[in-house]
Amino acid sequence: MILRAMRAEWIKLRTVTVTWVLAAITVALPLLVSLLTAFFQADDRGYDSRRMMENITGSLSLTALLHAVLAATTVTTEFGFNTIRPTFVAVPRRGVVVAAKALVGVLLAGGLTAAVLVVQVVGSLVIADAQGAEVAVGDVPTAVPAMVGAVVLAMLMALAGLGVGMVLRSTPGAVTLLLAWPLLGESLIGGIIGVITDSEEVMRWLPFQCGFRLVQLELFEGPSRPVSGFVFGAVAAGLLALGGWLVQRRDA
Amino acid sequence: MTVTVEHLTKRFGSAVAVDDLSFTVQPGVVTGFLGPNGSGKSTTMRCMLGLDRPNHGTTLFDGRPFTSFTTPLREIGALLDAGYVHPGRSGRNHLRWLAASNGLPSHRVNEVLELVGLTSAAGAKVKSYSLGMRQRLGLAGVLLGDPQVVMLDEPANGLDPEGIRWIRDVLAHLAGQGRTVLVSSHQLAEIALIATDLVVIGKGRLIEQSTVQQFIATHADRWVQVKSPSLGSLRAALAAAGGDVTDIDPTTLHVRNLAIETIGEAAAHASVVLHELSPQTGSLEDAFLAATADAQEYRSAMPAGGAS
Repeated sequence: MILRAMRAEWIKLRTVTVTWVLAAITVALPLLVSLLTAFFQADDRGYDSRRMMENITGSLSLTALLHAVLAATTVTTEFGFNTIRPTFVAVPRRGVVVAAKALVGVLLAGGLTAAVLVVQVVGSLVIADAQGAEVAVGDVPTAVPAMVGAVVLAMLMALAGLGVGMVLRSTPGAVTLLLAWPLLGESLIGGIIGVITDSEEVMRWLPFQCGFRLVQLELFEGPSRPVSGFVFGAVAAGLLALGGWLVQRRDA
Repeated sequence: MTVTVEHLTKRFGSAVAVDDLSFTVQPGVVTGFLGPNGSGKSTTMRCMLGLDRPNHGTTLFDGRPFTSFTTPLREIGALLDAGYVHPGRSGRNHLRWLAASNGLPSHRVNEVLELVGLTSAAGAKVKSYSLGMRQRLGLAGVLLGDPQVVMLDEPANGLDPEGIRWIRDVLAHLAGQGRTVLVSSHQLAEIALIATDLVVIGKGRLIEQSTVQQFIATHADRWVQVKSPSLGSLRAALAAAGGDVTDIDPTTLHVRNLAIETIGEAAAHASVVLHELSPQTGSLEDAFLAATADAQEYRSAMPAGGAS
């Protein structure tokens, strides 16, 4: 049953324009950032393996937010156009629909991010080599954990986005929250608390900041990468559980 | 497959949309589901399909709740609103995901597109469809799984006369195959043509479940139409016999409260030549308006000076 529902969700996902637009951005943006940077900066003395990896993982932390948006739209557009009703008539067990949406979203986010990563790394190495720069992934000890973190972040963002989408049921509301909260909301709250407590420790524990720590090359202070991942994963799972619970309870 | 609704109650806040509603829908006939605007028809259908959570009561399809079906499109086809389609998706892709969700073969998509006459427009985005085309697409979705139960809410909305006749024929054909067909509609003339059974509700409550014929016989006005070139003496005789006589035109009377035989005998006694003596019955619309008079939530008035 779950495989049939996933197949239906996959067809839904790739037969609307918004998916292709968001997917194109999530692919093009990190590729442009990392490859163009390699192309134009590889002959500079400052371009080294660390710089290359920073460009790669840094751009992926931004596009991870777009995976959250994409996952959110898979459910908000269903409520917006009332297609959630034929969806629940076709698959009456709502938990199966939620699970199918979550699995498709997670697999798409993880797969796309992994594919982009491979192209980014290979492309950056080839370009840098052609420009005479000596760079290697192995030069940066935290490169592999950060790249794995980028894939995990995209997958968790998809879960969080789906959860927010199910809670709000509104595309503008979900997109605004998913972009404004991690980029502005947490910075604002973290900053205010930081001023009050004269410490940045709280900021490092805020959920999306924990998520972004998954892709950082250096974690000087605060929770470790696994702990950060666990914190953001718990929040994403919580949002998904809350959204799933509301979908079960509410009238469609 | 028999559909049984038992003591269904649905409240939205303090408003009771469906109030302890019970009825059954039998296979082999088309059952019309009638009620004034706001009477709870659509809410009832949503509750039957598990989309709205009833506060009380159950709907069973041959003893099973809707949510127990793992491939419901193979058993129950439902069209609640033709607008429940993503406008940016093509008609074919809409049917493809429906088919995939229930493990239906992809060739069924082309078959039902052909059946509803949408093959040539199947690749176009739904936002370019007319309302009639969306209705046809919705019906294609209903027929996709070749279901035993068909539930339609206002299926003729937006259809042209050919489309209305087509859907009438399709529903009659489905019922003729022994399937269970429940159709909600405001087009009472259409219901009168296609339905055998009726479920009539008002203010969320059951007003009556019966056959169309019984419903009309119970609620619609009945009279005898009398046509004659010389009505003068007959009119007086009928009135004297206790008839309620209404002049329609110089050669036509409508007579109530008298048996047709009595009217004929009165005409014979008065030596009046009759051109017509026929029993008349009101339409389903007349019966519906009479039966739901106390359950009309929205009443219309004539515009000022409009009726003289």
